[in-house]
Amino acid sequence: MSAHALTRPRRARKGNLAGSLLTVFFSLLSVAYVFPVALIFINSLKSKAAISAAPFALPDAGSFVGITNFLNGIASGSYPFYRSVLYSFFITLASTLLILLCTGMCAWYINRVNSRICRLFYLLCAVSMVVPFQTVMYTLPQVANRLHLDNPYGITVIYLGFGAGLAVFLFSGFVRSMPAEIEEAALIDGCTPPQTYFRVVLPILRPTVISVSILELMWIWNDYLLPYMVLDRTQYMTIPIQIQYLNAGYGQTDIGAMMAMIVFSIIPIVVFYLVGQKGIVSGIIAGAVKG
Amino acid sequence: MKKRIALLLSILLTLSLTALAGCASKQDGGSDSSSGKVYYLQFKPEQDQQWQDLAKAYTKETGVPVTVVTAAEGTYESTLKNEITKSNAPTLFQVNGPVGLANWKPYCYNLKNTALYQQLTSPEFALKEGDTVYGIAYVIETYGIIYNKTLLQKYFDASWSSIKALNGIKDYNTFATVVREIQQHKKDLGIAGAFTSSGMDSSSDWRFKTHLANMPLYYEYVKDGITSTAAVKGTYLDNYRTVWDLYLDNATVPRTQIASKTGTDAETEFATGKAVFYQNGTWAVNAVTGDGKLSADELGILPIYIGVEGEEKQGLCTGSENYWCVNSKASKADIQATLDFLEWVVTSDTGTTALAEEMEFTVPFKKAKESVNPLVKIADQMIKDGKTPVKWVFSTMPSEAWKNGVGAALTAYAQGTGQWKDLETAFINGWKTEYQKVHG
Amino acid sequence: MADRNAALTPAAPLTPPKKRKKAKQPLKRYAVFFFLPTAAAFTLAFLAPFLWGIFLSFCEFFTITDATWIGLDNYRRALQDVGFLYSFGFSALFTLVTVVLINVAAFFVAYALTRKIRGSNLFRTVFFMPNLIGGIVLGFIWQILLNGLLGLYGTSLAASTAYGFWGLVLLTAWQQIGYMMIIYISGLQNVPHTMLEAAKIDGATSWQTLRKVIIPQVRPSITICTFLTLTNSFKLYDQNAALTPNSLPYKILEDGSHIKTTATIAKNIVDQFNENYFGTDGIAQAKSILFFLVVVVIALLQLYFTRKKEESA
Repeated sequence: MSAHALTRPRRARKGNLAGSLLTVFFSLLSVAYVFPVALIFINSLKSKAAISAAPFALPDAGSFVGITNFLNGIASGSYPFYRSVLYSFFITLASTLLILLCTGMCAWYINRVNSRICRLFYLLCAVSMVVPFQTVMYTLPQVANRLHLDNPYGITVIYLGFGAGLAVFLFSGFVRSMPAEIEEAALIDGCTPPQTYFRVVLPILRPTVISVSILELMWIWNDYLLPYMVLDRTQYMTIPIQIQYLNAGYGQTDIGAMMAMIVFSIIPIVVFYLVGQKGIVSGIIAGAVKG
Repeated sequence: MKKRIALLLSILLTLSLTALAGCASKQDGGSDSSSGKVYYLQFKPEQDQQWQDLAKAYTKETGVPVTVVTAAEGTYESTLKNEITKSNAPTLFQVNGPVGLANWKPYCYNLKNTALYQQLTSPEFALKEGDTVYGIAYVIETYGIIYNKTLLQKYFDASWSSIKALNGIKDYNTFATVVREIQQHKKDLGIAGAFTSSGMDSSSDWRFKTHLANMPLYYEYVKDGITSTAAVKGTYLDNYRTVWDLYLDNATVPRTQIASKTGTDAETEFATGKAVFYQNGTWAVNAVTGDGKLSADELGILPIYIGVEGEEKQGLCTGSENYWCVNSKASKADIQATLDFLEWVVTSDTGTTALAEEMEFTVPFKKAKESVNPLVKIADQMIKDGKTPVKWVFSTMPSEAWKNGVGAALTAYAQGTGQWKDLETAFINGWKTEYQKVHG
Repeated sequence: MADRNAALTPAAPLTPPKKRKKAKQPLKRYAVFFFLPTAAAFTLAFLAPFLWGIFLSFCEFFTITDATWIGLDNYRRALQDVGFLYSFGFSALFTLVTVVLINVAAFFVAYALTRKIRGSNLFRTVFFMPNLIGGIVLGFIWQILLNGLLGLYGTSLAASTAYGFWGLVLLTAWQQIGYMMIIYISGLQNVPHTMLEAAKIDGATSWQTLRKVIIPQVRPSITICTFLTLTNSFKLYDQNAALTPNSLPYKILEDGSHIKTTATIAKNIVDQFNENYFGTDGIAQAKSILFFLVVVVIALLQLYFTRKKEESA
């Protein structure tokens, strides 16, 4: 199917009563849908006392605090917020790139070679997708620590391992549908397998590359438990970890700063979505149908 | 050709990522193995900044790297559990008393022959078993009912008040009278309630499931002449209920709403003069004083009266749930570095000043400076006046699960969705069950 | 649900090798280049911790480096834990409700949006939006929202198991309907026009067309969405932990212990890890293995029924 068809629905006929009613209905529903997120934006501008006393009120002269919450969120604690932002961006982008680079090759290899080990690996990938994170919650950090992977560089390797299941799965689905003749021709023409992969196979895999990158980006950017458990906490934090830290105990919850940090964490991913909407939609569909 | 370059680049990327990963951590481990380093995992978020500053000062003075990490709320134990087996494990951590210690004994370095232990004003501040010193209390804290002096004076001066001076409040009945009259006339005083909201959100519920629960427990121990027990009787649970009702019915919010109220809510209500009474301790001073909040000399603190015979002589609740333990499985150099750091903290001018003036701690060490905390001064005065401090026996509560059960029952009772007998079950039967679980 | 399990669809195993000539031979020599990086990372990050976790479920330990083997004891104690069994039931019921609710709602939203509606693009964008936000944040947002609303009636999420349960249903539905909607829309757009026109010519009502023509045609989408919602709901943790962090209210039992009545199975396991006394971590590890096995069984059952349906179709 094509994503283009999806984003171009049939136009409403004029005077279609049922259609208009549905439009009204969906408009109302949309407002209800946006409301919880709007609530965060509104409250991020209010003082913490006002947030708690009247969460639904718009900021007024008494409760409006401008960007104070944002400044508090950035400055709070001993760990400057810009560092978390940098680490979040780095970890998300580097991990996704690494996953794309390695799993695409891997999927092509295991499908074309198709040895017993390849089939076993494929099966393990499938199993890994249903394993709840709780199963490895306490052992993974130990492994990561021992292998010196508990830093923003190393965690990309962890994400490669964890993201491999899904990515190999998706790439395999696509590779299987590709005719092998083109590659074989390239090989016969004297290309080495790496050349063949990057010159011939990868361009064909492009739609799946987009799907995989979107699914992995969304997962890694929002992930909390894995980086929280794995990263060396004396040095590194990501945005979700720091949001959770602001929720620190003994009556010190700064709910205003928390709202502001949430706004910070939402904006990049929403911008990403609005820019790449078409790709995301086709990515999800591919993710659902392939495999 | 281009493809070959692309290929090369991609290999380089993979290699550099793994290499960087390796290097980054090698540097961490390599550079300080000779001289030792300190990694302090602590659990008091309100003092995080002060510890960071102190660590920096020490590193500047001695060159020894000190890292301070504060674990997120409710996660200290699990964080510690997770961190302690890592290669870069905390060299210094905390336990909250004998119950907490039980788990961590194998990781506690014997502090018997250390300068830190020698510095203690009294050996009773150490967690000991026989000849082994597992942990050392580093801060003595006090809690009670903090009040707003200005507002309370307004009450004393009012025509309708039946108690006219602070010394008129000497037991539960007199205190309850004051509370009820204030609540009745809250409009006259321009406040929202006598008590701040008793928030049962996890940032605040420890004030009631642990600190307030200390009262009935303390009196039971006193009556039975014990210091800990495998099976609690719940002799004073009716008193617990009476005080809890007093808090709930005379507060800034209806009792049905406390489940979603947070520590910040109560703190803000008190700091902005919306309530007169606030059950909390010496550690709360910083949060309620300052610009647009109260001034330090507006703060007073009263004992928590629960209506027990002879409570006129009762003082504030004083004790510690903060013990330093040194990781015995750290390298020798790191252990030494940690001990040196601690000695510096409790003896050097910078260290003692930071403890007394920045963190406002009362510390049980010989060279300690006097804390600037206004509530600490009141507490000291009460002891001089012959009041008996209430011991922190909540450190003998069998487990977190027990506290959570009591907290949940308190919440349900307050909301009217549960019965008081559920609390009695959680308190008495739950103690026995949890005690058996913990002690095998 | 920006979740990597999003694409979890019934696995089609690699087919046994067709006898093809040596074309693959040169490739085989490049195993180190193509296969090793992923396989090594997968082994280190997933396989090793997973196998170690299975081992630990048979051990008693406080920190995981001092484990001693105790056999099946952890499993016995896990199955005797009433809180665990309760959470199992909670998750099962929650899964049942959300699977039905989300799929029905997503299907009809998709159905309506592929028809003649003004502003359809905007609606799709809006309905999908919640998926971009992480579960911890979503749970936190809804906690403020629901407590704010319930506060107007003098109560809160902690007052009743029903509030916690339905709040979680509402939040999950709000989040996932948009995702499933996209899959259904693509399925609906694949229904051949000729079939719809034939139905029209035959004088079928729109209800008949829906039941007899459209639904059979989008069955693959239904299968996928059911599978996704099933595993997502059953494994739910972040949203639950942030919406009802203490899992109140508790049911106080006769022996003074308690059941957290709004904890999902994943929450129960993580909470057990966080409880701080000796010997319970092994139980938590055993629970997580049991949890894993149940998820696998669900996945296999789904696979089995899908295969069966495809064969009969």
